[in-house]
Amino acid sequence: MTHSTLASLLVSILAYAPPVALAALGGVLSERAGVINIGLEGMMRFGAFFGAWGALATGSAWWGLGAGAAAGLASGALLAALALWARADQIVAGVAVNLLALGVVTFLLEWALGADGGITGPVPMLPALALGPLGRLPAVATGAMLLLPAAAGLFLRATPWGLRWRAVGENPRAVAAAGASVVRLRGAAVLASGALAGLGGALLPLALLGRFEDRMPAGQGFIALAAVVFGKWTPLGALGAAIFFAGSEGLQIELSSGGAGLASSIPRGFFLALPYLLTLLALAGFVGKAVPPAADGVPWDPEGR
Amino acid sequence: MNPRSRLAPLLPPLLALATAFALCAVAILAIGRSPAAAAAALAEGAFDGPMALGETALKATALVLTGLAVALPYRAGLFNIGGQGQFLVGAIAAAWAGRTLGLPAPIELPSVLLFAAACGAAWGALAGVLKARRGVHEVISTILLNWIALHLIDSWLVAGPLHASGASGFSHGGTEAVRAAARLPLLLPEGRLSLGLPLALAAALLAWWILARTPFGLELRAIGASEPTARAVGIPVPRRLVQAMALGGAFAALAGAAMILGGGTDYRYPENYRDPYGFDGIAIALVGAGHPLGVVLAAGLFGALRAGAIGLQDPTVGLHRSWPDILEGVAVVLIAGQRLFVVSGPGRRSQPPSAPGEDLPEAGGGR
Repeated sequence: MTHSTLASLLVSILAYAPPVALAALGGVLSERAGVINIGLEGMMRFGAFFGAWGALATGSAWWGLGAGAAAGLASGALLAALALWARADQIVAGVAVNLLALGVVTFLLEWALGADGGITGPVPMLPALALGPLGRLPAVATGAMLLLPAAAGLFLRATPWGLRWRAVGENPRAVAAAGASVVRLRGAAVLASGALAGLGGALLPLALLGRFEDRMPAGQGFIALAAVVFGKWTPLGALGAAIFFAGSEGLQIELSSGGAGLASSIPRGFFLALPYLLTLLALAGFVGKAVPPAADGVPWDPEGR
Repeated sequence: MNPRSRLAPLLPPLLALATAFALCAVAILAIGRSPAAAAAALAEGAFDGPMALGETALKATALVLTGLAVALPYRAGLFNIGGQGQFLVGAIAAAWAGRTLGLPAPIELPSVLLFAAACGAAWGALAGVLKARRGVHEVISTILLNWIALHLIDSWLVAGPLHASGASGFSHGGTEAVRAAARLPLLLPEGRLSLGLPLALAAALLAWWILARTPFGLELRAIGASEPTARAVGIPVPRRLVQAMALGGAFAALAGAAMILGGGTDYRYPENYRDPYGFDGIAIALVGAGHPLGVVLAAGLFGALRAGAIGLQDPTVGLHRSWPDILEGVAVVLIAGQRLFVVSGPGRRSQPPSAPGEDLPEAGGGR
């Protein structure tokens, strides 16, 4: 592999990893507080659509980014209402968010944007760095991807709020006994999770594609869910996993376009399935061991034992 | 309604459905269209004539089976999110076997169906084994297995080894069509109403019988009610978990096979198969309250809505075909949030519903 292929692989990773990385960070924040967020896919979808809509309506990609994050926050509020307030099964609540996003966004796409064939026209895009033959680097997305996980990692590890945040995912009863509200802490976590997933989703039209397509986010929310697990429920781990996953996809594109002998004979499907397969092996303890927070997915029941 | 009644578990989903219909009607009014015209168009698209009936039947067939794929493991306390992957595994298995086996006509179709079910059972059992042996949460593993199945089938099998040779003229992508002997016989001269629907209903009956009338089913429900108790009374919990997931996988795979062999996709596995029947199965199981009869009713309703949705796009109605999806999403949101609307005693505590009025051990710690 030549230097230029390596460089363009690096650029493609820095460009394509951010949506998954931010959604995965959202997943980490919510699961560390004890709420499994199966709804990441739907939240990214809301974020992507409202990001595009916001940018089209205001003519500014920045307002679009805000709209995407707000839509993600709102879908996080829905998940919080279902999983914490109504004490629904967290999985059912997440599935509900995904299903709702599927139908509602398809409808709004046609009704509000009149999109033909499920694709919008060009959407204003965030500023990017032109790197000549290597393509363009969506600097805002890449910057957010590198900064936010570091900040979240510091927050979780080095602040008193971060300690509580983690405690409520490991032993909520102890947190309640210490006088803090489990529902409020977990609610904050799910809202943050939704906002980050919405932000990640909004990057798809605003930083990468320059349009919204009805198939978005095409499973990236589920990749993010895998990145949470593969990254062992830490912000930097999830970032690393997102980068690794984007790399395996980028590598496959480089190899198939470069026409390298042996590697190009490996079917594309193997590269595409690799992130999920590795995550499954990690969960099963064959590649390291991924252990979730103790109270991850366990509904909070104040009257319970 | 008396909360001890056998039908009591069906009440929250029914209320949720009714509310979802009402909310959608209000939303349709709000955007200046007519809910009555929409309802008429839906009914016409779903039931008017053999073509419409065939579409409803085809979709209901897949939904009954993928609904069972979620509902049956659910009773053992397992949440099978993997219906979509198992559905695709069944579809590609049927497409391959229906092209390749070449058995005598009377045993060809049953063999292809059995082969597809076995492949789906193996795919489902993977998640069961990971859960039983390695403690991997089945929700995460089945989500991962969905995408592994999708990518391996789409970007390897269908793109490579199983790709139609194109010798018969132009290339259509996807696999070769299955042989005539492997196709589900059509029951009407017109439309796509096939033997698939009676088979799906028989599968629902079988699921009900397994759950309600066999020791195996009783053990599954006992595990769902309280795993520690089930262990304590000597039920081989790990083996039952694997078997429950295998059964779920087999049902979902039969749905995939029914789509391929029933003409839903021109009797071949298409280049990119994206029908989300496996994901829909989750909603069907929730709306059907995890009961085989409920699953059949929910699948019939949503099958008709999906088939009828074509009528919504008629200019006189002027609605998007995504309305049934919206209805499904709203209904599941309401079911998830049912505690906010339905007050019925202590309610369930994030455990799967136990069988209504059945002879479960009462000593469960989780209830």
